[in-house]
Amino acid sequence: MADTLTVEKGTAHSGNPGGGIMRKLSMWTGLAVGILAAAIVYLICSSAWAANDQGQDQAVIAAEVAWVIGFLVGVGAFVAPFRWLLGKDQDHADEMFLAGKDQGIGRYFRFTTDHKVVGIQYLVLAMTTFGVGGLLAMMIRTELATPGEKVFGGQIYNSIVGVHGIIMIVSTIIMVVGPWGNFIMPIMIGARDMAFPRLNALSFWTLFPAVPVFLSIGVLGGIPTGWVAYAPLSDQAPPGMDAFAIAIILFVISSGIGAVNLIVTATTMRAHGMTWNRTPIFVLGVTATSVLGLIALPCFEVGMIYTLLDRSQQASFFVPDQGGSQWLYANLFWLMGHPEVYVILIPATAAILEMTPVFTRKPLYGARIAVMGIVALVALSVLVWAHHMFLSGWAPTLAGPFMLTTELISIPTGMIFLVLIGTIWRGKIWTRLPMLFIYGFLWNFMIGGITGIFLSDVPADNELHGALFVTAHFHYTLLGGAMIGGMAAIVYWFSKMTGRMFDERIGTWSFYTVMIGFNVTFMAMFYNGLAGMPRRVADYDPQYAVGNLISTVGAYTIGIGMILFLYATVSSWRNGPIASANPWHAKTLEWYVPSPPPLENFEHLPVVTGDAYGYGEPDNIHTTHPGVPAVTGVPALVEGDAS
Amino acid sequence: MSFDVEELPEASDGPSLRERAKTPNGQLVIKVGVVVLVLTVLLLVFGIWWPLVSLSPSASDTQDEVKNTILVFSIAAAPVMALVWGIAYYSIRHWRVGATEEPPEDGPAIRDNTRLSLIWVVGSALLTAFLLVWGLSALTSTTTLPTDAKPLTINVVGQQWVWNFQYPEDGGITSSELIIPKDRPIIFNVTSVDVIHSFWIPEMGIKIDANPSVTTTTMTTPNKLGMFNVRCAELCGLNHAYMETTGNVLSSNDFDAWVTSKGGTVGVNVPLDINKVEASSSNG
Repeated sequence: MADTLTVEKGTAHSGNPGGGIMRKLSMWTGLAVGILAAAIVYLICSSAWAANDQGQDQAVIAAEVAWVIGFLVGVGAFVAPFRWLLGKDQDHADEMFLAGKDQGIGRYFRFTTDHKVVGIQYLVLAMTTFGVGGLLAMMIRTELATPGEKVFGGQIYNSIVGVHGIIMIVSTIIMVVGPWGNFIMPIMIGARDMAFPRLNALSFWTLFPAVPVFLSIGVLGGIPTGWVAYAPLSDQAPPGMDAFAIAIILFVISSGIGAVNLIVTATTMRAHGMTWNRTPIFVLGVTATSVLGLIALPCFEVGMIYTLLDRSQQASFFVPDQGGSQWLYANLFWLMGHPEVYVILIPATAAILEMTPVFTRKPLYGARIAVMGIVALVALSVLVWAHHMFLSGWAPTLAGPFMLTTELISIPTGMIFLVLIGTIWRGKIWTRLPMLFIYGFLWNFMIGGITGIFLSDVPADNELHGALFVTAHFHYTLLGGAMIGGMAAIVYWFSKMTGRMFDERIGTWSFYTVMIGFNVTFMAMFYNGLAGMPRRVADYDPQYAVGNLISTVGAYTIGIGMILFLYATVSSWRNGPIASANPWHAKTLEWYVPSPPPLENFEHLPVVTGDAYGYGEPDNIHTTHPGVPAVTGVPALVEGDAS
Repeated sequence: MSFDVEELPEASDGPSLRERAKTPNGQLVIKVGVVVLVLTVLLLVFGIWWPLVSLSPSASDTQDEVKNTILVFSIAAAPVMALVWGIAYYSIRHWRVGATEEPPEDGPAIRDNTRLSLIWVVGSALLTAFLLVWGLSALTSTTTLPTDAKPLTINVVGQQWVWNFQYPEDGGITSSELIIPKDRPIIFNVTSVDVIHSFWIPEMGIKIDANPSVTTTTMTTPNKLGMFNVRCAELCGLNHAYMETTGNVLSSNDFDAWVTSKGGTVGVNVPLDINKVEASSSNG
């Protein structure tokens, strides 16, 4: 079969006249078509609508939309459906080309359907956007190192705060589900690819054009609103706000496509014998997250579409003096906003839960409790949104009920902790790097969770809401909890994705640097927050100077730690020691295929006979039919790419 | 590099594991209990000291309530954190294998302990119930007007990026500083002329958003004389960081004197429609 493909490659596609076009398309043609489309549309619209009150916003919106559609056309997202419409469906060779067969590094820059390619694309994209968001965080801390607006000034500072916020939210949402939900999850359930490979590629390539749109906020006057984009301030904002809204809409479309794909894959494509009880906790976590994301994120999309209509057509959904309601926006936003933190947290937590048995050599303690905890988190998280609006003045009678639902969340969170320490208890603590991250997670997430209980209380919230205490709290959960989980996942699955081992020596240095820097930064923020320093200010009273300086020093320390981690990742990827198929002696199915796995993962689909946590249980075997592919040896993902 | 299927780890029945498994649970529980107890004490000290040194000094009944709540929550949190961290610490201290190349032999196959899990879940539910009851009672007391004193109503108007205060019960005077009498309940009616702001007095533990076209309400009873801060706690654009002013709690007599000095008359109602406030000309 490989021979036939080689022959067909590069020859005119006789079976599908004109079908060769998709072989010429890539990210580069996407960029070219997208930029061209945006430029033409902007020139036409800005002159045609110059006289309109909101002409500038209209032109910016039109140009950004043209960029997105142009990019998607140029990258080849619509080739297959278009050909289907013409009655010329893809043949096998076309599908193999789309899956990236024999294309070396080029497949990462194409509309490639292989789930492993999409996973790597997501990983690189997430690390890049984290880099941007982290850089912005360093800029924030630089401005705040000393009192007085000395570095950027209020306008630029406010934009930096908003863009940092949204970039980090998007990055953390895709951080675990993107790379490992796509790369690892299908192998973990014994599938050859996702249920809808083309949708998988579409999900990534819809997100990709959102990144330049996000960055265009910088040249379009910025956003003064922070990432919450509250109306009516968003109505006053420069055209940067339009770019913000379009980027969010794209992101929600992309994550929706991805979520549907993940849910269908996990529910329908599990290997023979993989009952729900035998399904690894990471798969369950990713599935639960996808369900939650599918419910929650569209609320933000609706909010952003209405904001765009307000800004460009005076639709006045959210503008009070035109009959709109700012509380309507706040409700839509937080209907997304609170579930979204669990969209971030659950997959990272599930990854941690997946690793803990491996590094304690014990079965997952109370696996059913873990599942119950995750499901309860999903259910409760959609019922707590108004705790972000306790002090907005909206519906004061709902303060009590929302205090109840919010505090109930501590019960399922407690279940997750029970499962973690129950698994660690009397385990053989194997202190390889992922284990250190598990301990880091236990430390940070505990602080993040406990401080959340203070914020769930309405009277305490009177003092703490809108203060740096909140900032410190959610950084403890999202950076200290979720992102530490994400870093652990990089280390844990690195060998499977790249075929090489992660440099644990530098990784350990990075771990300690990040942990120390992180705790210094945000403990100082807790202090200033309790002392009454508001969030999102470019300047502050002298009484907060010491705490802020400490925070800034801590933040730079995190920065150094992250650079170390990036260095460890890149250098290990390029020339780390070649990994065996199963360096951790773990039991989930991805460890039964070579590192990195070949196209379509398994030659024979595996049969599952037990769960994946049978440590110390010789009779409990996860798979008796591991489905080893005929392709042995380490395929040249990295070597081929490097040359 | 050749690929081969990893053998599933052998069942580990080495002597050390047997011995560990035989370690009487009671003895282990006592050892871990000591660690947890020590940690609890440390966390209690920290959890009480930290808010006491950092929280804004209290100048109102509300802030007293907030402070108590934060302290009670800290005290309730200490044993929970100590339990999780204590077990995690004891585990890595005593059962650590190190970062060996090959994984250690398997640990004991403990799948579940229904009784323990049940205790954990019921315990966390009880703790949650306690926090909820505490929170609801604190919420009631901070949102109920005391009956022993006549409240004073003040209108608060937020505007990019200044605060304005109107005294409709004192001849309709206005001020850019918030001057209030001690020991008298104050009702703040809060609104905004442009975007959402948030009216916050850190020393009094009150905060409420100032929304355009709507009036929101909060209340407190100042119980200490002296200066305090008024801040905006909702990002409201360019000069959000500077949207702050000072306030002063005066004795009842001094407050009346201040009203007179501003040209007002104590007790004379000048109805002001807060929803028709105009933007003042001053701009911060």
